[in-house]
Amino acid sequence: MWMHALSVPLVVLTAMAVSTSAYAEVETRGNVALQLQAFPSDSQHQATQDSNVSMSTEIELYSSVGENGSFTATPFIRIDQNDRERSRIDMREFLYSHYSDDWELNVGLGKVFWGVAESTNLVDVINQTDLVENDGSSAKLGQPMVNLLLLKDWGDIDLYVLPGFRERSFPGIGGRPRPAVVIDTDNALFESGEREKHIDVAARVSTAFDEWDVGAHVFHGTSRDPLFRFNPASSSVVPFYYQHTQVGVDVQATLESWLLKTELVYRTGDEIEDHAALVSGFEYSFYDIRESGADLGIVTEWMYDERGEESNQAFQNDVLIGLRLALNDEQSLEGLLGVITDLDEGGQLITLEGSRRFGSSIKARVQMTIFQSVENDSAFSGFDDEDNLQVELSYFF
Amino acid sequence: MNIRSDNMRRQLAVLVAGALFATVSMAQTPEERGLEIATAVQAQDDGFVDSESAMTMTLINRSGKKSTRRMRSRVLEVQNDGDKSMSIFDEPADVKGTASLTHSHATDADEQWLYLPALKRVKRISSKNKSGPFMGSEFAFEDISSQEVDKYTYRYLGDDEFEGRAVHKIEAIPAYKHSGYTRLINWIDQERMVAVKVEYFDRKDSPLKTLEIDEYERHMDQFWRAGRMHMQNEQTGKSTILEWSDYKFQTGLTDKDFDSKALKRVR
Repeated sequence: MWMHALSVPLVVLTAMAVSTSAYAEVETRGNVALQLQAFPSDSQHQATQDSNVSMSTEIELYSSVGENGSFTATPFIRIDQNDRERSRIDMREFLYSHYSDDWELNVGLGKVFWGVAESTNLVDVINQTDLVENDGSSAKLGQPMVNLLLLKDWGDIDLYVLPGFRERSFPGIGGRPRPAVVIDTDNALFESGEREKHIDVAARVSTAFDEWDVGAHVFHGTSRDPLFRFNPASSSVVPFYYQHTQVGVDVQATLESWLLKTELVYRTGDEIEDHAALVSGFEYSFYDIRESGADLGIVTEWMYDERGEESNQAFQNDVLIGLRLALNDEQSLEGLLGVITDLDEGGQLITLEGSRRFGSSIKARVQMTIFQSVENDSAFSGFDDEDNLQVELSYFF
Repeated sequence: MNIRSDNMRRQLAVLVAGALFATVSMAQTPEERGLEIATAVQAQDDGFVDSESAMTMTLINRSGKKSTRRMRSRVLEVQNDGDKSMSIFDEPADVKGTASLTHSHATDADEQWLYLPALKRVKRISSKNKSGPFMGSEFAFEDISSQEVDKYTYRYLGDDEFEGRAVHKIEAIPAYKHSGYTRLINWIDQERMVAVKVEYFDRKDSPLKTLEIDEYERHMDQFWRAGRMHMQNEQTGKSTILEWSDYKFQTGLTDKDFDSKALKRVR
């Protein structure tokens, strides 16, 4: 179940707020997408196919509520040919918002982004990653929340009570790309006796001055990143969601063509070794190259986790080197090449992405992912035959 | 010497200086005359406080094929500095809900943020890119950004006529070193003191683009706003038409509406 008892009052409250404005106009926007995936290598994993077809739709319904409020509902639906874990309905948002001059209240299921880096966002702890979307970490599950935002002259204070935890999605037995072992999401373990009903809390302060954007946060509750444990009863690997406290900062300096970015966190908990983790790097852009209008950006980021191989993060001592090309033409043609190298084990994750618009409503996106694993215990091991090509055609409305 | 006579002497000095200045201004240099006209154009727009408008942009390629973009914009006047502005994109559909925020500055670098609705992410972006195309059009970012007197140095070229109107021609050289232009020639309508035509010269000083501005309307009995702009690229044959509508003034916008947090709740 994606919602439990504590979030029900939130939804009822939101529904009540909306019903009082039944006459309000509803604005919609969204997309319908057809996705084709190809896996050139035969998988060594059982029950997997070398191609996959999938359809998805996400529709945002927005309505203003009274003078200073709004309600947003964003259902997301995917139907997948081979992976039952991917075929599902999720409420990305079901959120009532109230705006005042110096504060804002958000109640319901919401989506929040914290962070500045491109490779990974260590400080981004509010929402759970929707891993089966095969979209880096940008796809997220809607998070039950009560959020109060205080707008001060010097910056903002964001306070969160998060009644209810969402488990990460993992590819099922027919899903690709996946590791050799299927993660058994039906038997997840929790450190807290309250399991997914544990109430998490978080706070963030942020400010911008001159070329600096700075944020600092604290989070206490269930880690969005699980550890993995072998469950002898079902002889399967299950996610183990532990309790932790995370404090961290995120900083960006915007200096003409240079963007300097750092996210630093420190985590403590009974089930983990206390540790620091860092992502830090730069992005340099060449603008309007030879008066063509095109921009080329170079991204370099170092990801580090003090726990080394004990880390439950894929990137514990890795470097991203990326190139981003934007033609800034009528079709918004863009390309992105990213190479993440594991400095400890030598494995590499190579991604190549391209997108462009056709007409005014259709967008095509191509994504190629190559796993190069040098040693068996590299973070990318088990993915050797999971190289894939993904083509997506989306109609936007 | 007592205080009173000292004051009188000062007043006398001011009077003499004033008379001298008046003589000098009659024999103004082209640079002074250019700055004077540019300042007058800017000055008549002082006090608009804030404004909102809607814009349709039509991109026309060399073979005449058209594509459309739609956006809305909000501007907040800032005294003694560049204005704050926000643009909300409605079309093409894949960028619907994307919004950009600019705090422009007369001399310092502008501050710029972009909101990506699918990720709920506000990104601080570099404002260095002034010469690149805006939304794939023939307008560069610097063509549509807040026009401040200090962003150029000026030279008066003489008077001329454009579509039956007497105009001043002013050469403007961008102060910004990464501008895409060596110079612009602004054609200023003498009666309304608004630009009706702009010629742009590229980094090699070759004619690059010609902008014609018309369908001016006066708002609040004071502020002239164009209804239509036509930018013709002389080198590629492509052109872009901007059409403005739904102008509103003094709607009560404040600094808080131009905060990076406000990007997330704007519709």
